[in-house]
Amino acid sequence: MMKRLLLFIPLLTLISCSQTKIVNSKIFCFDTMININLYEGDSGNLKDIEGIFTRYDKLSDNYRSRDVHNVYTINHTNEEVVVDNGLYNLLNKAFSVKNEGAAYFDPLCGSLSKKWKESLEKGEVLSDEIINEELEKMHVSSIEFNENNKIKRLGEAEIDVGGIAKGYALDEVYTYLKNKDISHYLVNAGSSSILVGEKNNKSGLFSIGINDLTNAYIELKNCFVSTSGVSTQGVKINDVTYSHIINPVTGSAINNYDAVIVISDKGYLGDALSTSMMMNSVDEIKEIEEIQNVKTIVIKDKKIVYSNKDIEVKYH
Amino acid sequence: MDKKKLRNDIFLIAALLLIATIALIIFSFSSIKKNLIAKVYVQNDVKEVIDLSKKEENDYFVQGTHGEVHIHTYNGGIAIVESNCPHQDCVHMGYVYESNKPIICAYNEVYIIIEGKSLNDAELG
Repeated sequence: MMKRLLLFIPLLTLISCSQTKIVNSKIFCFDTMININLYEGDSGNLKDIEGIFTRYDKLSDNYRSRDVHNVYTINHTNEEVVVDNGLYNLLNKAFSVKNEGAAYFDPLCGSLSKKWKESLEKGEVLSDEIINEELEKMHVSSIEFNENNKIKRLGEAEIDVGGIAKGYALDEVYTYLKNKDISHYLVNAGSSSILVGEKNNKSGLFSIGINDLTNAYIELKNCFVSTSGVSTQGVKINDVTYSHIINPVTGSAINNYDAVIVISDKGYLGDALSTSMMMNSVDEIKEIEEIQNVKTIVIKDKKIVYSNKDIEVKYH
Repeated sequence: MDKKKLRNDIFLIAALLLIATIALIIFSFSSIKKNLIAKVYVQNDVKEVIDLSKKEENDYFVQGTHGEVHIHTYNGGIAIVESNCPHQDCVHMGYVYESNKPIICAYNEVYIIIEGKSLNDAELG
């Protein structure tokens, strides 16, 4: 009888293998949809992660005031502002990431970006006169990091940390998950910044599709993947595509590529580099890859113009 | 162990493995089939749940934070066809037929998620 009962074990194994416990949540933050998938953990963990995104969404907002001092607050005064520790550290990263290879990432380009946005909404190219005025503002502006989380903006240029905030929030999520001993997850912050853990299968690899290439995907685990591109927010005027990514040196909204994908071990760095690399040459990108230990895919005209040798782009 | 008992055991193992395999195939097939539900959110609230697998042509209107958003379904796909947002990125996105490609109207805080079968776990871009 025992032997016959033992025969049911393979059946039970097959049934149990087909059930995977996933806790999932979707929240609207950073003007996009954040999709959190945990293959272990519980709804309490989801709530904590949602809290991290909500917090940084508020802190990094440069369009409206919230119930805490945020980037909007700093942009509307030249007085010293006491900010939350999270915003203080986020701003610190945003202003120092230039030294980590993101030469074309300048958080002081907030007002220039807004001017470009308003102009492109009307289907017009921003005039050289306004571009030069804004660049001048950026050159003479700076930010002071003082003791006890005090921030002081000097000059008129506005701060915009939109290019780094999601990645920074993902870094905080990563630290949280690590502390909770959770390793199976996929946290998608609006398709431009994704925190990739391990999938619940033998290889642990997630399949991440590349929208700028037809049917293409890469398989990844335990990393951050960030992308910047013109496909969703680009505006075409007289056959020239203008982007929401502004070159802080020339003030131009024309980028070298359709998209740059960066795989890294830090969310804020991947976000900043993918933005900045839209203005770099391929040779410069290769150099940054080596120094910063990141991997890159560069796409132009629906084709890969450069891909790190360690990345295999596959097709369905 | 006599020969009859051994034959019965082998028969039982084979039968169980066959049942398990069939059950697994049916389970996998049904998971694939019950796909493509579009959920329309305004801020974080679900306003519409649309079964795209019926491939029906329909119009839906949801009130976003700055105005009404017109959603259209056709041949198993879903699109935002009218919105008062300045960029019109959501409208330019056209029809989406698969999951992992959310349609987002940030201005109106409306987003559409298609849930179901997808070739990838996430999409970049």
